Amino acid sequence: MDQIWGNTTQYTEIVWGWQIAVYLFLAGLSAGALISAILVKWRSNLAEGYDGIMKAGALVALPAISLGLALLVVDLGKPFSFWLLMFHFNLKSVMSIGVILLSVYSGLMTVFAAVIFKEKFAENSLTAWAFRPFLFIVEWFEGLGKWFDWVMVVLAIGIAAYTGFLLSALVAKPLLNVPVLPLLFLVSGISSGVAGCIAVSILFFKQSVQESNLKYLLSLDTKLIPTELFILFVMFIGLFNMGGQYAIVGQQALTIGVWAKVFWGGIIGIGLIGPLLVVTFSLHQYEQSDHAPIPVGSLLINSALVLTGVILLRFYMLYAGQIFI
Amino acid sequence: MGNKRYGMLYDSNACIGCQACSIACRGENKVHDDVHRLQVRIEGPKGEYPNLRMDFHRQSCVMCDNAPCVPVCPTGASYTNEEGINMVDEKKCVGCGYCITACPYQARYLDPKTGVADKCTFCYENRVKQDEKPACVSICPTNALIFGDLNDSNSEICKAIKKQATVKYKESLNTNPKLIVIPNRHGGEK
Repeated sequence: MDQIWGNTTQYTEIVWGWQIAVYLFLAGLSAGALISAILVKWRSNLAEGYDGIMKAGALVALPAISLGLALLVVDLGKPFSFWLLMFHFNLKSVMSIGVILLSVYSGLMTVFAAVIFKEKFAENSLTAWAFRPFLFIVEWFEGLGKWFDWVMVVLAIGIAAYTGFLLSALVAKPLLNVPVLPLLFLVSGISSGVAGCIAVSILFFKQSVQESNLKYLLSLDTKLIPTELFILFVMFIGLFNMGGQYAIVGQQALTIGVWAKVFWGGIIGIGLIGPLLVVTFSLHQYEQSDHAPIPVGSLLINSALVLTGVILLRFYMLYAGQIFI
Repeated sequence: MGNKRYGMLYDSNACIGCQACSIACRGENKVHDDVHRLQVRIEGPKGEYPNLRMDFHRQSCVMCDNAPCVPVCPTGASYTNEEGINMVDEKKCVGCGYCITACPYQARYLDPKTGVADKCTFCYENRVKQDEKPACVSICPTNALIFGDLNDSNSEICKAIKKQATVKYKESLNTNPKLIVIPNRHGGEK
């Protein structure tokens, strides 16, 4: 429609698109996978070597955060000026705090992965020449033991939660401007990390996976999913109770167009109810039994459902949050 | 007397929606095709016959005192200058878009050519600094726009504000805009 005041595309355009949605997912996935790996570390006997789940955690967390950072840079209006973010800080800006967190996190994440795959890197002829000069740094961090673990856990919680604060700081976007958003992203991030760790560990490190650890993570996920459902419930009831534009936007986001379908079918259906059904009807038996073989198929389906739900949640919040204002 | 604090009064009753302000803005600030710093939207007819009304809405930066676009900027490229005008430092801006999503007035856009956030500046660099009025104010054929110093109680804008009831867009957000609006006095209830 032609209006005398001209084109209005700029006023309806999505400013933060799929790159940012995928980044939000990857940041949560990375943090969640790292937390899973450390939780497993704390209940393992390290003399028997690292559990396959820890290896999976490192293998998921490092590429996830690296790819996420690449997406962030590519999405900038001036991608080649990203270095400006490291020379000008504004501690009132959640994004600037995020830059600081991400710098520390991705650096230490690399060290964490190097600790876990130390032997592999030091012995493989392709990597040894580059790795050995830094071995003393890796071993120093390894020597820190639980101290290093705790720093990583705190950083991971910071990364997962900051992606929520990044959006909840936006007064202009009622759907995002809710206090529980960081908590929602933290819980769903950990849930995705658990799912990622389970899937990668049984696909690539099955020999070194201890089943008690696998069952531990599985039961953790069956607690996280109802928690996530409850947080979503709290969030929307909160929006309705806040009234005004918040209530209008809350209702629109649950009832209008493709994003309402994504919410009910994708996030609630596939991502939350789906895994609960798989756990109830297939994996529960395995959790309770001492002799059943690892149900690889059901576990992979479960992980795929959880990961699909979590990525859809990021897309939904980001897009519906920008559309319904 | 301290610093100036520039503001603009928009009389939506005097406005005829001719878009001369928008065209003047494009020319003066070399605004790229497909994006706007300024539009005048004609909204309506609203209400039920015979109580109909047409509203005019100036869509542009409202120059908040507490601008949400400023604290969110990770590099400090988005700032409020000493005369109360919210500006973008093109050299510091990386084009992350945070200020665009943070603005409750949809005043900002990512410039398609430079990749930098941009918006209305009240023509600060190109006109106001030279003691000229913003282009939109100078061109307005019905004098619907008054520009001036809100800290000077003798300025034309302050005198005009004292004479009549005014509103600010989305006042509940506590952004305290310096674009002040004389709302529609004609027509029906809404």
